[in-house]
Amino acid sequence: MGVDLVAVAVAVIEEGVMKKKLDGKTIGSGLAAATCALLGQPVQAQPADDAWQFDSAVLYYAEQDRVTAVEPVVRGKKQFGDDSELELKLTLDSLTGASHNGAIKSDKPQTFTSPSGSQEYQATNEVPLDDSFKDTRVAANMQYTRPFSRTMRWTAGMNFSNEYDFTSLGLNAGLLWDLNNKNTTLTFGLAHEADTIDPVGGVPIGLTFQSNQQKSDGTEDRTINDLLFGITQVINRNWLMQLNYSVSISDGYQTDPYKIVTVVDANGDPLEAESFGAADIGVGDAHIFELRPDSRTKNALYWENRYHFNRDVLAVGYRFMSDDWGITSHTLDVKYRFQFDNGWFLQPHVRWYEQGEADFYRESVSAADLNTLDEVSADYRLGNLTDTTYGVKLGKQWKNNQQWSFRVESFQQSGDSDASELDALITQVGYTFYW
Amino acid sequence: MTQGKAFTLEQDGALWRGRFSAMASHCECLVRGVSKSQALALFECVTEEAWRIERKYSRFRQDNLMAAINAGDGRWVDIDDESARLLDFAGQCWQLSDGAFDITSGVLRRAWHFDGSNRLPKPEQVDALLSLVGWNKVERQPGKIRLQAGMELDLGGIGKEYAVDSAFQLAGQFTDADVLVNFGGDLVARAAQAPWQVGMEGTAKPVAGQLQFTTGALATSGDSRRFLLRDGVRYSHVLDPRSGWPVSGAPRAVTVYGRQCTQAGLLSTLALLQGKDAETLLRGAGVQYWIQWGNDAPIAG
Repeated sequence: MGVDLVAVAVAVIEEGVMKKKLDGKTIGSGLAAATCALLGQPVQAQPADDAWQFDSAVLYYAEQDRVTAVEPVVRGKKQFGDDSELELKLTLDSLTGASHNGAIKSDKPQTFTSPSGSQEYQATNEVPLDDSFKDTRVAANMQYTRPFSRTMRWTAGMNFSNEYDFTSLGLNAGLLWDLNNKNTTLTFGLAHEADTIDPVGGVPIGLTFQSNQQKSDGTEDRTINDLLFGITQVINRNWLMQLNYSVSISDGYQTDPYKIVTVVDANGDPLEAESFGAADIGVGDAHIFELRPDSRTKNALYWENRYHFNRDVLAVGYRFMSDDWGITSHTLDVKYRFQFDNGWFLQPHVRWYEQGEADFYRESVSAADLNTLDEVSADYRLGNLTDTTYGVKLGKQWKNNQQWSFRVESFQQSGDSDASELDALITQVGYTFYW
Repeated sequence: MTQGKAFTLEQDGALWRGRFSAMASHCECLVRGVSKSQALALFECVTEEAWRIERKYSRFRQDNLMAAINAGDGRWVDIDDESARLLDFAGQCWQLSDGAFDITSGVLRRAWHFDGSNRLPKPEQVDALLSLVGWNKVERQPGKIRLQAGMELDLGGIGKEYAVDSAFQLAGQFTDADVLVNFGGDLVARAAQAPWQVGMEGTAKPVAGQLQFTTGALATSGDSRRFLLRDGVRYSHVLDPRSGWPVSGAPRAVTVYGRQCTQAGLLSTLALLQGKDAETLLRGAGVQYWIQWGNDAPIAG
């Protein structure tokens, strides 16, 4: 009896199978899609294959009582079938507010001339700020990279930047060489930049009294040549290391035409211009235009480590810079990206920067210094500085590769001078999409 | 090393071969033209991945997620992202195959023992188990799953192929070199230099065919050694989860060439479940395949 029962059962199955003849084509394509979903790969070719990737962002930078900047950026990137890549970037910078004019903070009143030479203004008991500081900068970059052998790529680019008193044009070229199964990449780069500076009210004669308004007409020039050598190394499947060395040689006008230096007495109080035979425009008006060397050579070393945990990423960067103005600086930058489910990420960021002053940096000068000085600047950006930045970035990436992010950072600066004490808030909204 | 397991490393010119065992299979990973330390690092990553997936999804363990799900006894059990994707995939296969592929069908093994003997189960035994079979009886919520008491999941039909793809993906992030990952005959490879030579096992002859390919995956379903024979009727070990009885007329083995091992593996399984219509399905799917019906040479298409 057992045998009969089995035979019946088999017959029933046969009938079932006859009814349910599956369509192989539907199954084949359905399985392909299901497999891609399982393995986290795009179903078809990359959707971004034929599309431009756009990274757009608006940055808002606000210094307490000083400069406020709004900076929208759009960057478009496209990869072509021959593995070449084109990148275009457009930046707009809009600055308003006031910036330090270089003079000391004093409890005695001081008188200054505005950059155009048409107005005077005074400051007492506060960091002297020049509030005619308004500017809009437009910058455009273009970079093209293309492989020319299995392991080599060349890259070339140009950049242009313009604001009302400054124009810059740059060209660059480089070579990227993959070695060791692409575990090592060597980078060689050269860049040339030509700048034209056309200060409002003319180019001041360095070390002369501001009250005399000794200025020459016309423009000043500067050329910068950069050389870069870099190595990127895959240490293991989690760890990527990068080491860059760069030399930057800048020749020409380095001075900030709007910055001055206060001449003080033995008590540190501002002196009068007329006591040096210069024009009298008011009380506490002994300020000379700053003057910097006409060349600057910087050497910089940058070391970055990226460590991928299962999902999170830790990035630690260190930069050392030294120049022939006597400035040395150290930057330490640490970011940790917490990657959550559904594409969310949270990225805390800490940056620490320390800088030693330039040989010719003085917060102020004495009457005796006037006969001996060749170069001087009271620009706090050339003095001793310590900056700390704390911030966090929150973002979400969608399945179609769109991403938005929001970043907020607090910047704190301190140094030897009153002018160097600065707090700023940085916020940025970013959006990445494909078109 | 995990569980005291290890792999052995062999060198043959520019070729490195790492052998180890996982998922009750002989596994190997081949890589060309890298340094010894790179090969070692690569093999370590491949073996770790194989063992990780085995630990997590093996039904022979009591301390893993599968055991927790199967012991749920009608309660919701939390699952992670990877498991959710695997279960989504299993669900899609169930749907595509009209229920012929079902990861809840493992309980039928309680009645069927394919030991080459003539001991068939009693129909009422099979019928009783059928109430515990059916993916449609499984409840899902984001990050959770609930089985009815007595039901069991078995990812045996997906796990090995998935492990091959996953290990291969990890290897691909690691190196640009030519790599082949083979877990017990289910394999995926890529080659920029010379194509890989793969021998296919037959039922009668040790090598049924030689295949050359640069990039892609091969997976085989079916096992000629697992069957029941009674009164001249051969009962294949391929059970139809809808009836609880073996699929009649199923080929001995089906090998499919695809882009990923998981895709090739499921296609070969679904073809096998079609019984004598296996080839129709494969032809419709538009893939390269080899079907072994008896002791003859495989039919390729």
